[in-house]
Amino acid sequence: MSDVAIGIHDVTKRFGRTVAVKNATLEISQGEFFSLLGPSGSGKTTLLRIIAGLEAPDGGRVTIAGKDVTDLPPYARGVGMVFQDFLLFPHMTVAENIQFPLRMQHANRATRDERLAWIVKLLRIDGLEGRFPHQLSGGQQQRVALARGLISRPALLLLDEPLANLDRELRKEMEVEVRRYQRELGIPFVYVTHNQEEALTMSDRIAVMRAGGFEQVAPKLDVYIAPATAFVASFVGHANRLRGNLRDGMLDWKGHRLALPKIEGATDGDAIDYFIKCEHLTIAPAGTSVGANLNRVDGTIRDIIFKGQVADHLVVLGDGTEIVVSEAASLPRVKAGDAVSITWAPDAGRSFRALDT
Amino acid sequence: MRNRLTPITLGTMLVALYLFLFAPVIYLVYASFARDTVWPFPWHFTVAGYVDLAGARAYQQALWNSVVLASAAAFLAMALSAMGSIAVLKYRHRWRGAFAIIIVSPMFVAELLIGISTLIFNRKVLGLPGNMGSAIVANAVHGMAFGFLIMLAQLVRYDWRLDDAAQVFGAGPYRTFWYVTLPNIWPAMLGAFVLSFLLAFNNLEISFYNLGAIPTLPSLAWGSLRYGLKPELFALAALVNGVVFAAFAVIYALMRTGLVRFGYRGI
Amino acid sequence: MLRRAETRFLLLGLPGVAFTVLFLLMPIVSVLIFSFWRTESYEIYADWNLDNYRAVLTNPTYLTFLGRSAYTALIVTLLCLLYAWPVAYFVAKYGGRYRLLLVLGLAAPFFTGAVLRLAALQAIMGPIGFINMVVTWFGLEPIGFIMYTKFATGIGLAYLYLPFMVTAIYLSLLNFNFQLLNVAKVNGARPWRAFWAVTWPLNWIGTVIGVVLVFIPCMAESLTPRFLGGPDGALFGTVLGQQFGETGTWAQGSAMGVLLFVVCFAVIVGMALTINPRRAGFTGAGR
Repeated sequence: MSDVAIGIHDVTKRFGRTVAVKNATLEISQGEFFSLLGPSGSGKTTLLRIIAGLEAPDGGRVTIAGKDVTDLPPYARGVGMVFQDFLLFPHMTVAENIQFPLRMQHANRATRDERLAWIVKLLRIDGLEGRFPHQLSGGQQQRVALARGLISRPALLLLDEPLANLDRELRKEMEVEVRRYQRELGIPFVYVTHNQEEALTMSDRIAVMRAGGFEQVAPKLDVYIAPATAFVASFVGHANRLRGNLRDGMLDWKGHRLALPKIEGATDGDAIDYFIKCEHLTIAPAGTSVGANLNRVDGTIRDIIFKGQVADHLVVLGDGTEIVVSEAASLPRVKAGDAVSITWAPDAGRSFRALDT
Repeated sequence: MRNRLTPITLGTMLVALYLFLFAPVIYLVYASFARDTVWPFPWHFTVAGYVDLAGARAYQQALWNSVVLASAAAFLAMALSAMGSIAVLKYRHRWRGAFAIIIVSPMFVAELLIGISTLIFNRKVLGLPGNMGSAIVANAVHGMAFGFLIMLAQLVRYDWRLDDAAQVFGAGPYRTFWYVTLPNIWPAMLGAFVLSFLLAFNNLEISFYNLGAIPTLPSLAWGSLRYGLKPELFALAALVNGVVFAAFAVIYALMRTGLVRFGYRGI
Repeated sequence: MLRRAETRFLLLGLPGVAFTVLFLLMPIVSVLIFSFWRTESYEIYADWNLDNYRAVLTNPTYLTFLGRSAYTALIVTLLCLLYAWPVAYFVAKYGGRYRLLLVLGLAAPFFTGAVLRLAALQAIMGPIGFINMVVTWFGLEPIGFIMYTKFATGIGLAYLYLPFMVTAIYLSLLNFNFQLLNVAKVNGARPWRAFWAVTWPLNWIGTVIGVVLVFIPCMAESLTPRFLGGPDGALFGTVLGQQFGETGTWAQGSAMGVLLFVVCFAVIVGMALTINPRRAGFTGAGR
């Protein structure tokens, strides 16, 4: 398969007794925006540093464009990288920072200037070339770091939580732009983040990592709609977790009998985690009759948290349990204190055998 | 792996430097136990030097003078350099650059020059005879510059907004210093103190010209060169080194057991 | 609010400044004044003249000493620079939590005075010293050049001042972000290239301070040549010191002191001019 840009084969990395990456195998295609998503300590940054050559794996191989690079030092791999905190060279101007990779490749002056003109235009940082990094705003530093990563037209670009230190507005803007550059340049981006929204906004495919291993590697919609494990279901999207026991093919959750998708191999009495995303729940005035095929629980609205187009409705059930329902914010029918019913289609949720937590 | 060779080479250079620096010290300790300190080969063990030292008033007086001189100079130097570095780092005053250059400048004046210029100033301008006070002050000027540099280097990353935070939570300037600033900067202050103490304790050129007839350890050693170094001097040097070594061992043990972490933010 | 900050700045900063002015600047100014006066039989008289400078600058012996001091200081500084960088780099990068202890260890020999340590160095390197004793044990000819030569003086000076250079570079490396090396490497720089493009320029100020800290005491050294230098090893500092001791010609000594100060000052200014503050890597002062 010539389409494979990066191959990771059975890669393992230990730090002392901790296993940071454990038997990871993965292929990333040419032109793909690929995200490594996971909480801190899940091994995503270590895996990225292994691809860059900044860490040597204890076992396994790494290939870039079909060539085995496992034993190559970082400077011989020809990758671009955007670091967390940007890590611009403080003693170099913007232009010198951006041209650094070309200088290392002994590119001549004409090429360097031509490429610089191209990249500053692409990233809309023209006019800043003579400044020093500390004279730039966070967003400008971010663009310079991106420009440095891209100027040599590398075979791939690695990004290590590059947006983590930007404020929310700027992050939203950059998410869209990073995605646009990836489309325009057509090279694979490998993007490490702990922020699921970032991963969902930008990626083609996502690998969800936990404790050094992959929980799920799939196109982003699959990860969102069809999480493969309970961990993915709880980490991606905003979901309510209902933990109960299987009884006659139904979920017995705090006295409610709820329909749920079938679980392979589960038998009566097993502990079950049922995840239902907040936006798949619907609020209806109490006592509204619902279709027999829908699940329904009753409660009282405690608060409504406005979030723009949607609002999170916090509903307290009779026993004090809280359920979050995302509904259109313009919904005027309910207010805090109202008695309501929550309904949903059982198939909208995913059920797993309970994790030990 | 491919990078392992570099640290080994560099580490070897460090070890070699240690050997080079400590060889004369080890030799001194070795010779202090020898019957003939000038030519201690082969070695005839004796503690005669130490016995003589116990009865030698001149050496004890010199040691005492050195300790007093160094402690006072180091304390002054530490206080001044700490104040100076806080001023320069914390307040964005337009004179901060000028202040920093002035305070650090004694470091770039040779000790010999500090010695003779303070001698001339004290003797001819102020009409003072050689005295402990002048020697302390002259050594403190020198130590202050070094202490200032040490403190700058260690505190340059200190976030002074911590002090603002303390004030917001109701601490006045003194309590802010006591509860927030000091716990964060004391390793740097200790570094400044130790370095200035060391410089003053062993300084020959500054003290020599300022002390007149008051003996210190270095000037005693210098003066006794004419008649050959006495075994008592070897014994005294060995004892001082014993104390220093013990202090290092204690620091190491404390770090080992995790009781003390030296340095601010992993320094 | 602004007023209070200003007061505090002055309150904290002025004592150090005043101290320097009172106890360093004033004495140096008095040396400058005395250098234009005259000494006669241990007394100093205020007749303004240039004879002291004329005497020093026309006397080939003094000029030889000055030249020899400068040459020795230059060589020793370069040697220290070459050796100190790798050592400081090792401590800063691989020293872990024992970094401070490792650096203090380099300072520990300073608890023994320079006189005693030089005497011990003499005993180790001398013609009948430890090294030659070992050499002759192996049936070889004793090594002559390591004692009572300029080479021996150089070794002695390096011995005394190398720790200053290591410390200066170490302190600079403490504030250096080693991650930047990874950035350079990912962007295609081989280790040496990365060092020259990133580490070296970003630690240039520390290097300059180290160079000056070694050069100046070497330039003014009077002690080391007495032990290790041999008959023709005397340096400028030796004769300068004599003016205030044996001969008592304070005015001429002051002129020599001014000369020494001028040379050192020129070196400091020259080195400082190589620093480009915009490229020193300061990310806005204070943080």
